[in-house]
Amino acid sequence: MIKLENVTKTYKNGTVALSNVSLEIEKGEFVFLVGSSGSGKTTFLRLLLREELPDSGAIWEAGRDIVNLPKWRVPYLRRNLGCVFQDFRLLQNKTVFENVAFALEVIGRPKSVIQTQVPQVLELVGLADKSGNLPTELSGGEQQRVAIARAFVNRPLILLADEPTGNLDPKISEGIMGLLDRINKTGTTVVMATHDKALVDRMRLRVIELDHGSLVRDQMRGVYGIDDVGTVG
Amino acid sequence: MANFAQYVAKETTSNLWRNRVTTAAAVFTVMISLFLVGASLVLGLGASNATTAWEKGTLVSVFMQPSATAQELAAIKAELDAYPFVHGCYYQTQHDDWLEAQKQLTATELSVLTEADIPSSYRCVPNQPQDAQLVIDHFSGQPGVFKVNAPVKTLKTLQRIITTAQWSVLIVALVLLASSAVLILNTIRMAIFARRREVAVMKLVGATNWFIRVPFIFEGLAQGFIGSALAAALVWGGEGLWRLWGSRVDPGSLVHLMLLSNWQLFFTEVVVVLVGMVIGALGSAIAIRRFLDV
Repeated sequence: MIKLENVTKTYKNGTVALSNVSLEIEKGEFVFLVGSSGSGKTTFLRLLLREELPDSGAIWEAGRDIVNLPKWRVPYLRRNLGCVFQDFRLLQNKTVFENVAFALEVIGRPKSVIQTQVPQVLELVGLADKSGNLPTELSGGEQQRVAIARAFVNRPLILLADEPTGNLDPKISEGIMGLLDRINKTGTTVVMATHDKALVDRMRLRVIELDHGSLVRDQMRGVYGIDDVGTVG
Repeated sequence: MANFAQYVAKETTSNLWRNRVTTAAAVFTVMISLFLVGASLVLGLGASNATTAWEKGTLVSVFMQPSATAQELAAIKAELDAYPFVHGCYYQTQHDDWLEAQKQLTATELSVLTEADIPSSYRCVPNQPQDAQLVIDHFSGQPGVFKVNAPVKTLKTLQRIITTAQWSVLIVALVLLASSAVLILNTIRMAIFARRREVAVMKLVGATNWFIRVPFIFEGLAQGFIGSALAAALVWGGEGLWRLWGSRVDPGSLVHLMLLSNWQLFFTEVVVVLVGMVIGALGSAIAIRRFLDV
């Protein structure tokens, strides 16, 4: 589903964000992306979103070479990608329903599709009763659920999440994690960058660790820190 | 497609309303500058109408000395008839010219004149209006001829004044047009800034670049169109007042001769509206290129 080959990305100021990274993620996998701040997690996600282009190397998503994808095709690539951020990025002047519907509206989906899909996905994230509320009337956890609903409403093949629980307390984070897990169970590949040690350690899923732009660990049923490997077994 | 049209209409009107103060500023500047463009066109077309009318009626007057002999009169008449650039002539006696002078001169001027002081004249129509000068040059100074003249110089002076007026109006209009394009650019920039979060989300969920751009382009077009429609209304009203004035004055006067035909008015209005929309499209295109990162 996702394949990187010798991907290197250096920013103009000389910072090496990713250096010679190669990896493959299968369809339906759930992958944690860990590493300290500045290790290259966000760049990794931005490359997958094609918000950035690598200096060298190749990236495939759903069988498509996205590095050489013409610019005008990028929007169509993104329709296969859902995206969730730490800061939710909801539109404050739109209701929960409108925020989710917006994602379908702007890719030209007909009203009938919007009227059926939006309530379904709001049901899935547990916000069916809040569809008329504005984001300011919701808690952080609820806002992130709206953002996930928006990312998932178009049934993307891949869901990218950049520290989705970064602003939330542990109990709420558990709920968000459960939601992402359910989305993963529908067959969507999920890549989640996170600092949430407890979460990663509890889930025991594939963990990819970056350090100063290099891939230092790719571990099935992994844990958050390399030092923990021995203790957890 | 219907969805998209609905979306664009909704977004465009809400953007215009959200930035209504700057929108109004842009619209009014477009209106004033295009009104001036229209005025300059009306002046230009009117001047050419008047010139055509004048040229058609150009008369060369060959004034004879009051003392000219019958032979001299006959010689000049014979020469005029033979001259290839003259279409035809008629003779005005001293009495005819005296009657004409009484209409044109003031009482004071007339008090020092008698009919005997007034020259008789041949009034000739040249083959082409521009031949008038040839007739003047050929017959000036011939025996018995007092003076030859045609309204050529007056015509030229009038044309020059009208052309100068037209160009001054046009230059002011162009400066204003440039500033209206900048004002439109600025409102679009503000609209882009106000909607930057939405644009970011749109890009993220896979809206195409044109889907994102079109509402902004329409916003600029709408500003240009509203401004130019108002300008067209002003030009129409102004021209109507001119017509009213023209209908009340002597048909030979400048005001009357400069009146536009319906087609000329229609042409002016179309130009005004088209220029307005081009200005709007230009302003928004530059704003999108510079400030919308898609």
